[in-house]
Amino acid sequence: MPDGSQKSKRQPTFNTIQREESFKNPPKTGSTYPILNEFVTPHIESFNALFDDSGLPKGDGDGRGLLSLGLKDLGERVVFDGSGELGTESGQRGWGNRLSIWIEEVSIAPPRVPDRDTWSTERKIFPTEARERLTSYRGRMQAKVCWSINGNIHPDQFVMRDCGLVPIMVRSVRCNIRSLPSAELVRRHEEPEEFGGYFIINGNERLIRYLILPRRNHVTSLLRPSFANRGPSYTQYAVQIRCVRPDQSSVTNTLHYLSNGSAMLRFSWRKQEYVIPIMLILKALIGASDKEIFDNVMMQDYENTFLTDRVELLLRSFKMYSLYTGDQCLEYLGDKFRVVLGMPEDWTNQALGAWLIQKMVLVHLKSARDKFRMLVFMLRKLYSVVSSSCCADNPDSPQHQEVLLPGYLYGMIIKERLEEALSQVRNQIATDVRKEEAPVDFLDKRYIMKVINKVNWDIGSKMSNFLATGNLVSPSGLDLQQASGFTIVAEKLNWMRYISHFRCIHRGAFFAELKTTTVRKLLPEAWGFLCPVHTPDGAPCGLLNHLSRTCRIITTPLSVAEIPALLAAHGMTQAFSSSIDGRKNLCVQLDGRVIGWARQLVAHQLATNLRIWKTEGRHKVPLDLEIGFVPESKGGQYPGLFLFSTRARMMRPVKFIANGKDDQVGSFEQVYMNIAIKPDEVELGVSTHVEHAPTNFLSILANLTPFSDFNQSPRNIYQCQMGKQTMGTPSTALQHRTDNKLYRLQTGQTPVVRPHLHNTYAMDSFPNGTNAIVAVISYTGYDMEDAMILNKSAHERGFGYGTVYKSQIIDLKEMRGATKSSASPTLHFGLGHDVRTAEGNEQHTCCQFLDKDGLPFIGTKLDSGDPIAAYIDETTGRTRFVKYKGDEQGIVHEIRMLGMVFALIRVAADEIQGGDTGDTELQKLHITFRITRSPVIGDKFSSRHGQKGVCSQKWPTVDMPFSESGMQPDVIINPHAFPSRMTIGMLVESMAGKAGAMHGLAQDATPFQFSEEDRAIDYFGEQLLAAGYNYYGNEPMYSGITGQEFAADIYIGVVYYQRLRHMVLDKFQVRTTGPVDPVTRQPVKGRKRAGGIRFGEMERDALIAHGTSFLLQDRLMNCSDYSTTWVCRTCGSLISLGYDDISLGESSTGTIKATGPGGEYCRVCRAVAEEDDERARQALTTGQNPDRSPLPGVMVAIPSSNVLRSSSKGGDLDVVAVPYVFRYLCAELAAMGIAVSLEVR
Amino acid sequence: MNQPGQQTTNAGGGGSFIPPPRQDMEYICADCGAKNEIKSREPIRCRECGHRIMYKKRTKRMVQFEAR
Repeated sequence: MPDGSQKSKRQPTFNTIQREESFKNPPKTGSTYPILNEFVTPHIESFNALFDDSGLPKGDGDGRGLLSLGLKDLGERVVFDGSGELGTESGQRGWGNRLSIWIEEVSIAPPRVPDRDTWSTERKIFPTEARERLTSYRGRMQAKVCWSINGNIHPDQFVMRDCGLVPIMVRSVRCNIRSLPSAELVRRHEEPEEFGGYFIINGNERLIRYLILPRRNHVTSLLRPSFANRGPSYTQYAVQIRCVRPDQSSVTNTLHYLSNGSAMLRFSWRKQEYVIPIMLILKALIGASDKEIFDNVMMQDYENTFLTDRVELLLRSFKMYSLYTGDQCLEYLGDKFRVVLGMPEDWTNQALGAWLIQKMVLVHLKSARDKFRMLVFMLRKLYSVVSSSCCADNPDSPQHQEVLLPGYLYGMIIKERLEEALSQVRNQIATDVRKEEAPVDFLDKRYIMKVINKVNWDIGSKMSNFLATGNLVSPSGLDLQQASGFTIVAEKLNWMRYISHFRCIHRGAFFAELKTTTVRKLLPEAWGFLCPVHTPDGAPCGLLNHLSRTCRIITTPLSVAEIPALLAAHGMTQAFSSSIDGRKNLCVQLDGRVIGWARQLVAHQLATNLRIWKTEGRHKVPLDLEIGFVPESKGGQYPGLFLFSTRARMMRPVKFIANGKDDQVGSFEQVYMNIAIKPDEVELGVSTHVEHAPTNFLSILANLTPFSDFNQSPRNIYQCQMGKQTMGTPSTALQHRTDNKLYRLQTGQTPVVRPHLHNTYAMDSFPNGTNAIVAVISYTGYDMEDAMILNKSAHERGFGYGTVYKSQIIDLKEMRGATKSSASPTLHFGLGHDVRTAEGNEQHTCCQFLDKDGLPFIGTKLDSGDPIAAYIDETTGRTRFVKYKGDEQGIVHEIRMLGMVFALIRVAADEIQGGDTGDTELQKLHITFRITRSPVIGDKFSSRHGQKGVCSQKWPTVDMPFSESGMQPDVIINPHAFPSRMTIGMLVESMAGKAGAMHGLAQDATPFQFSEEDRAIDYFGEQLLAAGYNYYGNEPMYSGITGQEFAADIYIGVVYYQRLRHMVLDKFQVRTTGPVDPVTRQPVKGRKRAGGIRFGEMERDALIAHGTSFLLQDRLMNCSDYSTTWVCRTCGSLISLGYDDISLGESSTGTIKATGPGGEYCRVCRAVAEEDDERARQALTTGQNPDRSPLPGVMVAIPSSNVLRSSSKGGDLDVVAVPYVFRYLCAELAAMGIAVSLEVR
Repeated sequence: MNQPGQQTTNAGGGGSFIPPPRQDMEYICADCGAKNEIKSREPIRCRECGHRIMYKKRTKRMVQFEAR
């Protein structure tokens, strides 16, 4: 059962023996924890669905894969050679021979070693190799391209075209480790519980995240003020339907209401939006007469003047087009769209119009009559919304949502890439025909093959690029609202984080930038489908959700072909029947197709019958059918009986009370159902269903919080966050992992207190923390403000001891001096002649780190800057070294030598060779370093209740408080952590852990097990009493320092503690002196560059407010860009310093110039002074009076400091301290012609 | 088994380049665990199974750390 509902009688044991056994001997068939394979099924089965041999049931279809269906939808591309003559039989307009090209089939093979490689004994490639060699896990894709000339299909007019290597989902139908049992997986260097669902791109595990989309094939009414801005007479009303083709690609049709009573149908073709009057489509579809349209929309509701008025306007407004028959409408459509569609030239307008409607309007329906009925239904619903007889639907509610599954998106992209390639072939031929250069001969097979091979068919690299970046390159946009952010890395930080990736579901990047928060709201409709607890706080809050534990996503096609007949046999009026009263009848729809009408009571009865039949498996009604009965209401949701059988819906198991059978409930129908949480809540006559377990609405992670029902809810949200940041056990195949960074807790334990699901989800195989004795006491003051005191002896015994594995890749191809292209490289690993390797004093220092082959010894301890590899440059003959770049001590843990070739070798024009055969000498290394991380002051820890804290001291054991039995706590936390946060769950866990440790029990901490009558406190209190402790878990304790008993009893117990990955060693940032910015001479920023932390404006304000001017001076000047400079007292310039060389005494030539004691002078002032002197001299020689002589008898008293250009003649300079940036500013301003003048006092 | 081990890899480069003596080193195949003697400049392929990844063996030298 996917919900794990068959709860066996729980044993209060830790299952140590069984676990050891399953670790020693992994099962030869199946796996130990089958549920792990179940929760990734939507990923894997959606990928499998691409292929004809998917292994999925056929449903109503012919069992073909999505790729085949997509190819069918792709159709053919047609080109003419223009050889025909006008009016002849070969083409009435001189088209000539008609060549049509199509793709018959595509195949994707499992990853295999290339055929050219004759060496390997194992021809399959396994995921572990892709991971370890940092390559992608890919299989070869081939397409069979066929063509025909003038409609004559010849059997050998085809070519198998290679499409490159396409990434393959691990454990999918194309994967080499599909359905291998645990024992085999271990042999293949995988996790024994490997469940797949991701792709391997360049050694990284990446997966396509679920995305929420509007529910397919269901008409939703929308009320958006922005619709009114679309054009004149547009209003805020519209109905929308997202139609999905059998190949899972979709088209959205929107029907807008215009204020003149008519409606416009909107769709988009290649990202361009088009709007068509609905009447045009209605007529074009079945050639309906005005009366037929009127009757179908009115449905005998002639008293409804609102409706009659609008329909009349609708019909009248179409008169201006003067189109009367269906064929005329098609002709009109085809004429308008001919240029846009790019279909064959020989198609008539009518054919083009029909093709457009088939491709763009209600694409989930094949027959025109069905489309007509559905459009009329949309119109009726639209008018109903406008007249407020029903309300608008909420597109943010899970009721109107479904999920975009990875495989379907993947298939859509492949389809579009194939279409692109096919169109390119057509365009290439068309260009050849137009240019008339190359001999274009359609009958020559070689010509066509040449053109096909000329075009880029490398779909594999495009798919790799999509997965590596998450960016969607698409001409049509694939009917999605975003073009990037589709893929994420499945980080193996710890087990919790890893499995969460596969259950997370995103609302869409578009909604992340919305100002309004309505999309982020937690709606009651989400109950049981999206977890209310497990969402990140901060920017993605409410947009990034996680599926509830039991929520399934339907991936198998269902067979529902017989349901319309079945319903008709039980009282449903058939859809074709005329004279249905629209006021009394409800529409019955199956996957967006009108299958009939029924009165409210009949419809209700039908819904009940269907539910009984589907739970009991009668009349071939599939269990996963969703029966959404919306009853009539005043101004509520538009009524009807809506059945859904399609894929990508969210469903969840509940119990049907009427017959006690298991039922699957979808998010649409759940809104109208009464589901009791617990059996004792069942209300007779009201409740129809009851939950299998009250915790089923929580996600996996939220379920793992012990006693989460006792906590304040935000604390549970925090725990879901912190659980994913815990240093735990990321993997049991650590030696085969090549992640950039892995955190590992050395001494992981199984928690004493754990929910029932702890075992179900294999949490014990990947322990995440340690059981700690925790005392809640205010002791020493070092536990203030969420700090925690660690017992030094506990630390020495290994409490929270962890390791970080980092890796470094050394690729000689990327080194300086590497030859880019050739097969024989010029750089080789090894030690050259210039390195003396013989032992003794002369030995090169690198020899204590490096082996003869130029690679480090395994187990060597390295400091920053030590050599980790040596290579010889063939051109210079010298040895060069690669340095260890980490800034802490690391130990060489493992060295992988990766044989590979990077250069793309084109063996033949038609074959793109990955060239990934591994036949060259060693060029690439992957080195793993082990860095020990014992807990230090400043490391972060947390309990499982959102109570995080930082280690503030490692307190000596002798000074720790002790209890009467001599127990000392491992961890001390402050009692102030509880009152405001109300994490009662932690207090209960403490008691339960203490009792469990004493009695040797694994305590069940599943939420919602206790009640007011049967209290958890009493249950665990009794256990404590039996173990000889206080009922409430508190004990008398004694001070470790004085030995005196504390006045109060101390609450002490066992709590499971997690060590979080945030460690001071990665975070601390201190500097006294260090690198400075070359331009400003201020300290650089950034921890990596040993920079400082910015002392910004607000910090400056604080210092000013405090009046601590000395500190201000110190921070902003002395510790930053303090500099001294000369300033001219006369002109105040900073930038006019000049020097006279006075080392040999005063200059003997000419006049004595004024300088300072060091020979410094102001160039500006001296120049002015010299000019003045010159002028005075000239005045003397010519005998003229200086024209600027002061008037006799006028005297002005001015302080000497205010007189510029005093007699110093440029020699009056002073040294001042200024920030260096200020000098820089002066220089910059001078460059702009602005002089800065300082006043020096 | 065709082992494409090139004897002279001197591809023009510096004419006077004398390749250093080729070291014989033992590595471990990542797939089958077989010990492989691979000289420098030989392709990284396991002789037993043709696998393309090799691990370096742990050193026989004494590795000693100060326990603090």
